[in-house]
Amino acid sequence: MMEIFYEAATNIENSFIKEWKQKGKPIVGYTCTYVPAELIYAAGLLPYRLRGIEAQSADIGDAYFGPYICTLPKCILQLVGEKKYHFLDGTIITPGCDSIRRLDECWRAAGRDIPSIVPDFFFHYAVPHKYTDYSLEFFIDETHRLKSELEKHFNLTISEEKLRSAIKAYNTGRSLLQQLQQHRISGNPSINGVDSMAVNLSSTVMPRDLFNQELSKLLDNLSQSRDNNLSSRKRLCIVGSANDDIELIRLIEQSGFFVVSDNVCYGPRQENYYVNEKEDPIVALSKYHLSYSACPRMVGDYKNRFHQLLELIQASRVDGVLLQNIRFCDLHGSENAVLERDLEKFGIPCMRLEREYGPLVETGRIKMRLDAFIERIKHTQKEQV
Amino acid sequence: MREELKEYCFDWMLYSTMNIGKKLKNSTQNEINTMYRYLPYFKGIIQPILQEGETGHLFLRMISEYLENIIYAHDRGKKRAMSTFCFSPAIFYAMDVVPVTLELLTVLMTVNWRRGTSEYLDYACEIGFTETSCSSQRGSLGAYLAGVGQPIDFIVCDSPGVCDTNANSFAFTSAYLDIPMYQINYPPTLTDERAAKYHTQDFKGLIAFIEKQTENTLKEDKLQEVLEELKIQDEMIMELEEYQRLVPNPFPAIYNLFLYAGRFFFAGHTTFTAILKAMLKKVEQNASQKKSGLSKGDEKIRALFCYIDHYTTHVRFWQWLDNKGISHIGNILSRFWSDNMPYVKGMENSSYSIQTDSLENMIHSIAQANSRMPMVRSIRGPYDRPGMWLEETLSLAKIYKADCIIYNGTPGCRNTWGMVKLLARDTEKMGFPTHIMYADAFDDRVESWEATSDRLDEFFSVRGLY
Repeated sequence: MMEIFYEAATNIENSFIKEWKQKGKPIVGYTCTYVPAELIYAAGLLPYRLRGIEAQSADIGDAYFGPYICTLPKCILQLVGEKKYHFLDGTIITPGCDSIRRLDECWRAAGRDIPSIVPDFFFHYAVPHKYTDYSLEFFIDETHRLKSELEKHFNLTISEEKLRSAIKAYNTGRSLLQQLQQHRISGNPSINGVDSMAVNLSSTVMPRDLFNQELSKLLDNLSQSRDNNLSSRKRLCIVGSANDDIELIRLIEQSGFFVVSDNVCYGPRQENYYVNEKEDPIVALSKYHLSYSACPRMVGDYKNRFHQLLELIQASRVDGVLLQNIRFCDLHGSENAVLERDLEKFGIPCMRLEREYGPLVETGRIKMRLDAFIERIKHTQKEQV
Repeated sequence: MREELKEYCFDWMLYSTMNIGKKLKNSTQNEINTMYRYLPYFKGIIQPILQEGETGHLFLRMISEYLENIIYAHDRGKKRAMSTFCFSPAIFYAMDVVPVTLELLTVLMTVNWRRGTSEYLDYACEIGFTETSCSSQRGSLGAYLAGVGQPIDFIVCDSPGVCDTNANSFAFTSAYLDIPMYQINYPPTLTDERAAKYHTQDFKGLIAFIEKQTENTLKEDKLQEVLEELKIQDEMIMELEEYQRLVPNPFPAIYNLFLYAGRFFFAGHTTFTAILKAMLKKVEQNASQKKSGLSKGDEKIRALFCYIDHYTTHVRFWQWLDNKGISHIGNILSRFWSDNMPYVKGMENSSYSIQTDSLENMIHSIAQANSRMPMVRSIRGPYDRPGMWLEETLSLAKIYKADCIIYNGTPGCRNTWGMVKLLARDTEKMGFPTHIMYADAFDDRVESWEATSDRLDEFFSVRGLY
């Protein structure tokens, strides 16, 4: 049942990509949750959330980026340089954060040295950093610009009907993902954190209709099962920098935790709400994506994020929170400090962890920190008893 | 942070020092020398500034006035706004608000104290702010987070969309100290109509925010007064910029620092105008004698700093340039892009103009001027797009006849470190030897000034520039 999701989640060029390309259909990569994948899907293109897994070194990434940059975009650039993203027909870069937005020029610069790695469609999608009437107006205009450029480049029309249908498909997926979350956070969990993550990651790289079908089957299956092994573990919520590495979650769960919820990019956090299906589709998509403030790139919205996180933590009845950030991710790194202070006030044990993105070269160190954290949680709970 | 340091008020310490510096103007040389004996570190910063004569005196007076405003703001019934160098304080002066600009205070502490802001830098990390964040804000921010600076009433920043680490400093402070904050954010483009519209709408939001925080309404005549003064300043800066194009450059090495610091401290305020006037007098005099502004009178190299300068203890960076015969022909901080500047040619739509005939036009003007502030103007979009960092750097290098281009920043600058290698490759291709400094402009512990200056020396030697 899970093989399909693991196939999608752990391979850059997975079987769905190959199948899609065999049909002669284009694929458009994008860097950030603020990109309306619905728009790409409505065009008959496959939206593909760019990832850095499979990078074994960073020599290409390091050649263009400076030394003080997050390893996630470096790993993406590494894969681009190694032509592992050869299947892309287009790319959309956003100013998600400084490191990711500079992927724009580093990718193009690498393209001057390594032939045919820059897709013909290369789009810088301007996403404001706050939600106001005028920033929304700007963003709606930007989304229209993206639509028009997609239509022009790929010689197609994105009709309102197609857009509405894509929005519906994505909303269905959101509803299914929320059901999956319920299986995970319930008192009788039937899916662990590793498997959940494989499903969530799949949602960012699989054709949405196919993903929905497969997830529906999985949910049917889960409703009849229960994983007793999970109930005895300490329930953990993961917060902070982007994570698309299943192995990190596996390491955490092997340390005695059950990753019951998360609030990280590539996770389910952006799937908690629905795009309004009654409104003008471009306006609805713009509203949906810009109002999503779970990422600290939306500067000055800490209180809102804190309350959202607190709700998630309370709903998932966690024993502890892991606040992690990739080195040089100051946005999450700093916010984690305030979150730690404020969550601990509620008696929620927190651990901050700085890590590198990519192959788990730090396994030993992270494992040791996790062991210490679980000890702290057990000790605290014992004292409370 | 050491407990004993918490006994000292951060901004009061700076004020006391600079206030003494200001008063030395009326002292005899004998008295000054006596003072130096008792204040060995103080000497390192005050002496080179006083050596600049009237300009130096006015510069010290300006800093003292700025710090005095911070100290006595509440006594004088004014609010303090924490802000950033790339946000023009003009609107604060128009609305009677006292700016507390983090980077300026960091530099003041860095050049004044032997250990710079190290204790405050580290304090910020002690409470969880990332050690990889930018030291330019973190240096003084640590003091405010520790509660050893004057209380801040609200925060205004304009770096979201341009510099994460800058914006993050203010977001963190707002969350940590629970202080209201307004952020102006910029689109990745500068010259299109929708960017201009966004700038103005965002700025109107800012004015409404300040009005709410201060319970004062923006007065049209006050804004006009500030903008008219800004126009005068821009005219004078334009003249200075024209002089900088001369070979040899009649600018004394430290004048670029005076120029941008003054603009950051007192844009639209007469205090800065007085400094510009004194600077012009000196530069005109040098130019009429076809004399270099460097002390030895011999200009060997013209160096363009494509980002920022190095603020090691005292003003050793500028003194080093002066000793080596290197003329500093400006950096990203010294360019403000009003439409009369010589460097605007070819990039006219990247500039701003000031119109004071109606409130609407004034707000539009100040919003556009603010959007052309250093860094937020040219490091907002991809570096190689029209009007952005590459075009700006190459244009400045040509206009000011640069022999080389030097990048210096901080390890916290995610934004420029994401593209500086590409920029350097392009500028080299265009024939400008380019050096990337790996030091931290605000923290000598990352790389000592001695090591940094050795590397600069090596660059000039290896590239045959001496």
